[in-house]
Order: sequence, then structure tokens, then C-alpha cells
Amino acid sequence: MFGYVRPVRDELKCKDFDLYRNTYCGLCRTLRRRYGLLAPMILNFDFTFLALLLAPAEDRFTPCRGRCHANPFRRIPMCPESPELEAAADECVILTYWKLRDSVRDDGFWGGLPARLLSWLLGPAYRRAAKQRPGFDRTAVRCLGELAELEKEGCPSMDRTADAFARLLQAAAPPTGNPGRDRPVELLLYHLGRWIYLTDARDDLEEDRKRGRYNPLVLRFGPQGDDQALGATLEHSLNMARSAFCVLDLGCRTAAVENILYLGLPLVQRAVFDGSWKQIKKQKIWRTDA
Amino acid sequence: MKDPYSVLGVSANASDEEIKKAYRELARKYHPDNYQNNPLADLAEEKMKEINEAYDAITRQRSGGGQSSYGGGGYQANYQQQQYGQQQYGGASSNPTYVRVRNLINSGDLQGAERILSEVGQRNGEWYFLTGSIAYRKGWLDEAMQNYTIAVQMEPNNMEYRQALVMSRQGGQAYQPYGYAGGGIDACDCCTTLMCMNLCCGGGRC
Repeated sequence: MFGYVRPVRDELKCKDFDLYRNTYCGLCRTLRRRYGLLAPMILNFDFTFLALLLAPAEDRFTPCRGRCHANPFRRIPMCPESPELEAAADECVILTYWKLRDSVRDDGFWGGLPARLLSWLLGPAYRRAAKQRPGFDRTAVRCLGELAELEKEGCPSMDRTADAFARLLQAAAPPTGNPGRDRPVELLLYHLGRWIYLTDARDDLEEDRKRGRYNPLVLRFGPQGDDQALGATLEHSLNMARSAFCVLDLGCRTAAVENILYLGLPLVQRAVFDGSWKQIKKQKIWRTDA
Repeated sequence: MKDPYSVLGVSANASDEEIKKAYRELARKYHPDNYQNNPLADLAEEKMKEINEAYDAITRQRSGGGQSSYGGGGYQANYQQQQYGQQQYGGASSNPTYVRVRNLINSGDLQGAERILSEVGQRNGEWYFLTGSIAYRKGWLDEAMQNYTIAVQMEPNNMEYRQALVMSRQGGQAYQPYGYAGGGIDACDCCTTLMCMNLCCGGGRC
């Protein structure tokens, strides 16, 4: 959805990179099988991370082979279908749909046309996903509604607005009934949600200022923002997410998740702060081979 | 009980030195300093207990059984003495309303504490301190720091408020694995930003 949550490839071991890529490809296939040929368009790194996090703690995993969506003549290794991949796929559809509806509402008639078209295309998939995950769908509607309300009234507290989004992400982990796992996963996702929301607000800072749109950082720190103070808050959330990760048993997926939390997120944050993120996003290197 | 070697993440024929190294790294990971005021402190404490027991079991086994642990004993004792858990908001208050709020925060009922605070008309340093403490518990660092700052401005001599402000400025603690220099954004340079561009499927080949 945002694409902020990604690993640093150069620092991954080959086997961990393979695991990451297989999860990505597995999620792509799950999206296609459940929601049709258009659904892999919404595939992204953020939900690949969710799939990694939700997977059971196995010491070793064996990929299966499947057809690549981008190139059907190629058979590539990928994660076999699992309830976790299905959860990630369903939630990806639900969240993307509601984000699109948000854009339709915020961007006016002409500006909102592309989002209107996409959300129309995604409509049938969304309705199926919402039926699968009614709880998550309700939470998404409630939290995004709260967020829209806070934005409308111009809430000056960045923590409060970030909280609405963070609670939404926190709900993305279906409970397993084991508090030793559920509690850290929820805390990790909560703080990751905070980090995503605030990083995105920093990314949009200039555009929001130009257009006079709501941005929590403008209201909190003034039109120029304050990267030092924001950096401290983001670092705090990352540390909370990391401390939750440390008490989790993720088996063979530990290294990939560790790479994302300790290296990927700080790098993206830095790129957003110094403005190079916009360039990185445009290049879309990863799109060409998905 | 779990296999002590798998708890430490080493093979059964690892050398004493390797075992000690693995144990120390894990002890660093679950160190109480990393879980100060962290809602998961109890889980970290459990983990620490688990690795202590595993290390103890292995050392006992290797020293011929029966005897108590060698070598690592002092090291473990150091860790065990330290406290995990939440900062307790003790009886520094003379105001019965604030005593109630402190009790609610300690018991984890943040909503109840917030409700009582919102009904207080006269807002003094303690009000801001407690509001900040609730925000901190929720993970809302920015609001916590704003409130702590006001509390310190109103009562500059109060050590409790000052300590809370200093702690919140440290930005939370978490274990940093070796090789991830410092973790935070300071550790990155231009090269690593370039790596970031080349993230997952670099070079267009998956």
C-alpha cells in the first residue's frame, strides 16, 4: 500500500532473500487465486512483511513451484498457500479498497477519477474479502472513519491521528489464542502502524502544505516540520517494535524480519527525510520483475 | 523442558566458548534495560529465565553433573538482580485524586485514569506528569514529552518529573544485534541509501 516496509537486499543472506522473495511470490499467487487476475496489481512489500510475521514459527520451510503471474511460462519457487498468506491477501484487498475510497472522497471529482475507477474494479474482490474477514473490515471502517474525522477537525496531536491508523494495523493479526505470541505481534504492528503513518505524513509534508491539506506534522511543528523531533518519535516506535520482535519466535523467518526492522525501515525513513524517497519510488525497480 | 542447546541456539557439540558467547548475546537481548517501561517486560523476563536455566543445565551437564554451575553463575546473578517491569507510580502525591490515578496507571487501566484526570479543574505539574505518563504507556512519545516538559517547567525541582522527561528523551531502548552499528538513522550513509534503492529485486531480476 505504501511500500515503506522492505528489507535491505544487500544485507540479507541468500536463503533469507529467497525466503522473502518466495513469500512475495506466494502472496501474489494467493491474491490471484482468491481475487482474480487484476488482484496481484495491489501486491506490495508491506503485506509481504505481514505474511512473514504471521507465519508459524517453523525452523525450515520448503517452497513449492508455481507459475509466475508476470510471466506464465516461468515456474518459480514460492511459498505454498497457507492461512497466513490468505489473511495477508484478504487484508491487503480490504485496506487498499478503503484507501482508494478515501482518495475518491479527498481528491475531488476529477482528481478522484482514477481512484474511483480502481475502487470500482476492486469492488467485487473487496466484497469477498470483507465476507472472509468481517472483523478486520469493521475495524478498518471504524479506524479510517476516526482518522477522517480527526483530519477534518484539524487535530493538532500527531500521536492521536497516528493512533487511529496504528490500531488498524494492530488488528491485522488474527488472534492465535496464545498471548505469548499475540501480545508482541500486536505491539509490533501497532508501532509499525505509527511509524508508517508518521513517515507517510513526512513524505506528504510539502505537497500537503502547498495544497493546504491537513498534515499532522504541519500542525504540530509548523510548516517546516521538525525532523529531529519526528526522528526521535519514529526511533522510539521502531525500538518498541524491535523489543516486541525480540520476544517473538519466528523460526526461519527471524533474519528477514530482523533485516526489515533494523535496516530497511531506518533507511526508508532517511530517504523520506532527505527527499530521495520520491525518486526511489518512481524508479519502481522491483515492479519490473514481479 | 526444551532442549537447552536449542534454547541457546547452538548445536550439542558446540564448544564451551561458543555456548558462553551465545548465552551472553541472548542475555544482552533480553536485558532489563531494553524493557524498561515496556508492556512486554514480563515476556522478556520469562525468556531470560529460560536461557539462564538452559545455560545452567548445560554447564552442570558438562562439569560432570551434580555440581552447581561454574563460570556463568556470577554473570547470571548480575542479571537476575535487576528489575524488569514498569515504573511504579508511587505515593509521591498528597492529592487523593492523583493517588487514585497513579493506582489506575499501575494496574494498567489507562482509560479510567484518563477519565479522572479530565475532570480535574486545577492543572498543576503533577497533572501534566500523569497525563504524560499515560501517553507514554500508550506509546505516544510526542504527547508524553510535551506533558513532561510542562510538568518540569511548572515544578523544576521535582526529580520524578525530570527523570521521566530524561527517560522519554532517550527514545526507547531495544537490543541492537552486532553488526548493525547503532541501528538508528545516524548509522546510514549515502551508500546505504543507494542500497535502499536497490532493495528487494535489484537489477530487475527476481
